Amino acid sequence: MQSLEELQNCIKTQSNSNNFVNCSNVPKICENEPCMLGVDEAGRGPVLGPMVYGVAYCPVNQRSVLEALGCADSKALTEEKRDEIFTKMLTEDDSLNNVGWAADIISPNYISNSMYKRAKHSLNEVSMNSAIELIRRVADSGVNITEVYVDTVGPPEKYQAKLSEIFPKYKITVAKKADSIYPIVSAASIVAKVTRDHALKVWQFPEGLEMNHTEFGSGYPGDPLTKKFIREQIDKVFGYPLLVRFSWSTAELMLKEKAATCTFEEVDDEDSAKKNTKSISSFFVAKSENGAKKRKRHRFFEERYLTMCNAFE
Amino acid sequence: MSIQIENNLKNTENKDIFEQRAHYVPCKIDEDGAANVKKYFEPYVVESPDGDMTATFRGHGLDGTKMTLPEGYRAVVATEAKKPLAEDADRRFQVAGGFKQLVYWNWDKKPSKNDNLVRALDWIDIAEALHCD
Repeated sequence: MQSLEELQNCIKTQSNSNNFVNCSNVPKICENEPCMLGVDEAGRGPVLGPMVYGVAYCPVNQRSVLEALGCADSKALTEEKRDEIFTKMLTEDDSLNNVGWAADIISPNYISNSMYKRAKHSLNEVSMNSAIELIRRVADSGVNITEVYVDTVGPPEKYQAKLSEIFPKYKITVAKKADSIYPIVSAASIVAKVTRDHALKVWQFPEGLEMNHTEFGSGYPGDPLTKKFIREQIDKVFGYPLLVRFSWSTAELMLKEKAATCTFEEVDDEDSAKKNTKSISSFFVAKSENGAKKRKRHRFFEERYLTMCNAFE
Repeated sequence: MSIQIENNLKNTENKDIFEQRAHYVPCKIDEDGAANVKKYFEPYVVESPDGDMTATFRGHGLDGTKMTLPEGYRAVVATEAKKPLAEDADRRFQVAGGFKQLVYWNWDKKPSKNDNLVRALDWIDIAEALHCD
């Protein structure tokens, strides 16, 4: 891959309801020299589009390459600047020989499906699994990882403990705003952000909607274009095209108001077990008329939800 | 009250109308009428070589399997032009089509013999055994 255009083409060939990983070749030097690896994410908050996890890695003693690329606090970089740095990572020898990267594109459909599982799978779990899988993948491709730096929005301690347990040999640092402190995390952040931006740019609707990112916006619930999309692109039965994360409250509330109500089977939990126990007062209630109990249908029918209906003529 | 079904499609040339694609979705939808199944649902139906199917509805992951109706049975879709106001009035339905096969979907659970629809069809065999001469 040598240009942003190739990145876009690569994204386009993937089904956008599934996840996929896009990664660079491993620079030879990274197989021998001890390496640091940074992890960051892009698109956690938006109601539209994929969330992308990015990792970048390079030899511990090659920090200067990252600085020359301009990997600083990625939040302070404009979109154009991020595109420019990523293009350098794809083309300049100094970078190609020292810095490798990988991006995990997590589809909005995967996010909705995970959060709406019978045993709910939170966004934090999805995120953590993605980060773990990326680190594993890089290690399996032969990179000599010794230090790992991770950016987090949540409390770092628990996350750090979990990663240290899985990767006991690495020196692991989990920190808030790590992308403004460690250049390798800034590089990871650029990989993630650029991938997410371009994934939205080339988004094609399998539902056949003739729309693009200039019409649905950045995906952040505060963006007026995104708001308009969430308000207007509703199908009474199916809700939204799968660009939307159904499990976001913005989408849930709008569907509650504007689409047909859909009720899924309730998942058994502790409360429902209690409901099945007869309350003690029920034993003292007077019997129904004539004292006769209404004849109940056999359990066979009840279990199968079979009832008597009218006959057709 | 009696219910009458009229079949105006008895002599139709179009055989496909009784072999439409049907999906049994594990969810109560408070809506009656046409749905954009082809546009919103079917693009995401994936069938693996061993016949397992996946799809998604309203953000919920679905697991599905193809189901054929029991021998000698077929499904008919009937519509009612206007529901009478009085509860005990006679009602008239028109046959609008039908299907012989459906895709049975479960929410985040592989379809199995223990699913209610599969078990409900047990009745057909039992009724046969009980009532045949």
